Amino acid sequence: MRTVCLALSLLLLPHRLFAAVGCDLNDPDRDVARLFPGSTGYKTDYLSIKDRGGAALLARVESRLGDKFQGLYETMDVPYTVYTVMKGQDVLGYIHGVNQKGTYGGIQVFLALDPTGVIKGFYFQKLTSRFGKQLRSPEFGRQFIGLSLKDFPPAGYPDLKNPVPEAQKDFRAALRGVKKNLILMDEFVFGRTK
Amino acid sequence: MENILEARDLRRLYHRGSEEIAALDGVSLDIKKGEFVSFVGPSGSGKTTLVNILGCLDNPSSGTLRLDGQEIFAAGRRLGEGELTRIRRRVFGYVFQSFHLVPTLTVLENVLLPFAFYRKEGLAADGERLLGDLGLAARKDHLPGQLSGGEMQRVAVARALVNAPEILLADEPTGNLDTKRTGEIQEVLLEMNRKKNVTIVLVTHNPALAKAAQRVVELRDGKLA
Amino acid sequence: MKLTLIAYKNLLRKKTRTALTVLGIALSAWVLASLLGFNKGYEWALNRDIDNMGFQVLLTAKGCPYEAATLMLKGGTGLRYLKESLVQGVSQNPEVEEVTPMLMAAVFDPNKGESGGLSAFLGVDPESFPRLKGFLEFKKGGWFKDLEAREAVMGYEAAELEQREVGDAYLIPEKNLEVKVVGILKRTGTQDDGTIFLPVKTVQDAFGKKGLITGLGIKVHKGADVDKLTDRLYDLPDVQVVSMAQVKNTIVNLLSSAKIMVFSIAVIAIIIAMVGVINTILMSVFERFQELGILKSMGAMPSDVFKLVWAETLFLCLAGSSLGVLLALGLSHGTELLIRRLLPYAPTGGLVQIDWRLAAGTVGAITAAGLLSGLYPAWRAARVRPLDAIRSEAE
Repeated sequence: MRTVCLALSLLLLPHRLFAAVGCDLNDPDRDVARLFPGSTGYKTDYLSIKDRGGAALLARVESRLGDKFQGLYETMDVPYTVYTVMKGQDVLGYIHGVNQKGTYGGIQVFLALDPTGVIKGFYFQKLTSRFGKQLRSPEFGRQFIGLSLKDFPPAGYPDLKNPVPEAQKDFRAALRGVKKNLILMDEFVFGRTK
Repeated sequence: MENILEARDLRRLYHRGSEEIAALDGVSLDIKKGEFVSFVGPSGSGKTTLVNILGCLDNPSSGTLRLDGQEIFAAGRRLGEGELTRIRRRVFGYVFQSFHLVPTLTVLENVLLPFAFYRKEGLAADGERLLGDLGLAARKDHLPGQLSGGEMQRVAVARALVNAPEILLADEPTGNLDTKRTGEIQEVLLEMNRKKNVTIVLVTHNPALAKAAQRVVELRDGKLA
Repeated sequence: MKLTLIAYKNLLRKKTRTALTVLGIALSAWVLASLLGFNKGYEWALNRDIDNMGFQVLLTAKGCPYEAATLMLKGGTGLRYLKESLVQGVSQNPEVEEVTPMLMAAVFDPNKGESGGLSAFLGVDPESFPRLKGFLEFKKGGWFKDLEAREAVMGYEAAELEQREVGDAYLIPEKNLEVKVVGILKRTGTQDDGTIFLPVKTVQDAFGKKGLITGLGIKVHKGADVDKLTDRLYDLPDVQVVSMAQVKNTIVNLLSSAKIMVFSIAVIAIIIAMVGVINTILMSVFERFQELGILKSMGAMPSDVFKLVWAETLFLCLAGSSLGVLLALGLSHGTELLIRRLLPYAPTGGLVQIDWRLAAGTVGAITAAGLLSGLYPAWRAARVRPLDAIRSEAE
């Protein structure tokens, strides 16, 4: 029996700890209901820049972001998951998350949007930071409610409060994540490449 | 002419329930080499039973049979299938009422079928030549399904002759044929008998065909009439 | 005229019946070949996964310290430790080529996921570990050089999850220790993909486990007697010896009961197919009674008729089993997907492996079963007396 658990744990262990990479909701059924109470169901779509417009789309997104896509993990073929939340036949809103590189680890920024693209919910599904507790506080998240893409011009960001000055890098990373999230939603769902 | 078959006091008994029926009740006769003999009689007269014993297809219940001077059936001696087969294939060729050609083999393949089991040394005939003799050369690559009844029976005759048997045994060979075809078969038998000196033992209901033989033997109730 | 030609052409007389019988045999052959192929592939893949661990024997502290549940529930405090000084003693065994100490540690990360999760780290010796696991390739960067460096090497998936690249920082939660990522491994398809490697001393210091390790990997000289070594190691106090051969056996044993069940299914499939064969041949014998009798009158011995009918069985089984093996080869990918869905643990790599030997074995086994099934119909046919056959015609 001992050898059994040893064997299984040696072989199974890390698989359990590191789930599949992507930016899906950890528990869609629960999270959708939490972010949109009153919803009756949701649709899941997987989109990528490569499929939706390729290099031309990437160039447009980068210019709206005011920043280039960088690194090993921010590439054209990264899949993005868009959840369209329904109430009966009506669209209540959308949920979308993006990965963003933080100081010490990955950050996953999730936005809940109303049908016109205005933020009605914000949270970090994943955040590795020395100041994770502060950044995850409701006060921080509330700042985003009511904002939309027009508040994030290509040149800059809205004037939001950073609760932890020492976490400037992660704070800016969160902002960039939100901006990227809104731009992608605009391109994929609201805007031109429908 | 010497005798090829000598039968003495052949009896064949069958048991049906508690009843004992004598299909053959003491038949004795001789058949000479090269003779053409036909056996006639009403149904149940025992002609088929007799011919089956003469043709080594069946053991008699009692009596003796000599084939070419050699004792085949004698008192108390029953031959097994293997032994009977060895005797049969050396001496006999058989033609039956149903032709029993293999439908997926060609005419020539059907004629040569016996060679799959036994080929008489040196004497075995050329299948194609036999077909020619029987007027079937043009049909050698056809399948049985493409032949008429008479043609099929002629193929069966060719097949029976391919191992150069000494005796050709034909049991109601024209039973399934019309008058015209019956005539064809009659011609074939006569020719085999005349040209190749094959001894022919024929069982038939057809009086005209029976009369074509050199000798007609009648049976009634298991005995010679 | 050959018996085999007659047998083959006999089968063509009832094409649909022959085809259906062949199909039945093919299906049973497909099942058998797939199962044998899976059996082979699984063992091969399992061996490969275990061989990829790099060492043949693993020493751990008594008490199943790697138990996943322990780590999950107690946040790593359930681990048991070995003294590092053990390394010296073990190295002196003649069978040992190299040893590598390992220290596994885990922390609870409150920032992970919704309500926190576990992060696990493996402290390794930068000299011996890379040697033992020489097949690990780097996508970028390389191993740390210093025993006490604050550097980390990440498995491919661990790096992907954290969006780390070489040069980035990584924070060990709870201990608040910052390390620099110096290497990211290529995907291996094993548990290393999700592991974060740190120098063993760094982990010892950070987690307050000076002089302690959780495991010692042992590489044995080629051709050495592993059992002898493990017997000696059993004598060490408070130490649990696991040889990879044992692990393999355990998993294989776990599977064997499943295998038996599945093989039973294959056997049943074959029996059903053979019943189909007997039925087909027997039916054709009864249909050909008179014809068989006439064959006897043509000079066929009982053994000839036996061989003829038996040959028909042989052809059916050869055709069916060959077709089945081809099916198995063609569908092996689909079969593999099905198996992965059903099994809790499936090693990576080709699970269903069918080579020519296996194919030949399947064809042989099914043909043998068929020939056995064909004995009765062939015997029945051989027994036919020409008289019985002809008499039935007259009636």
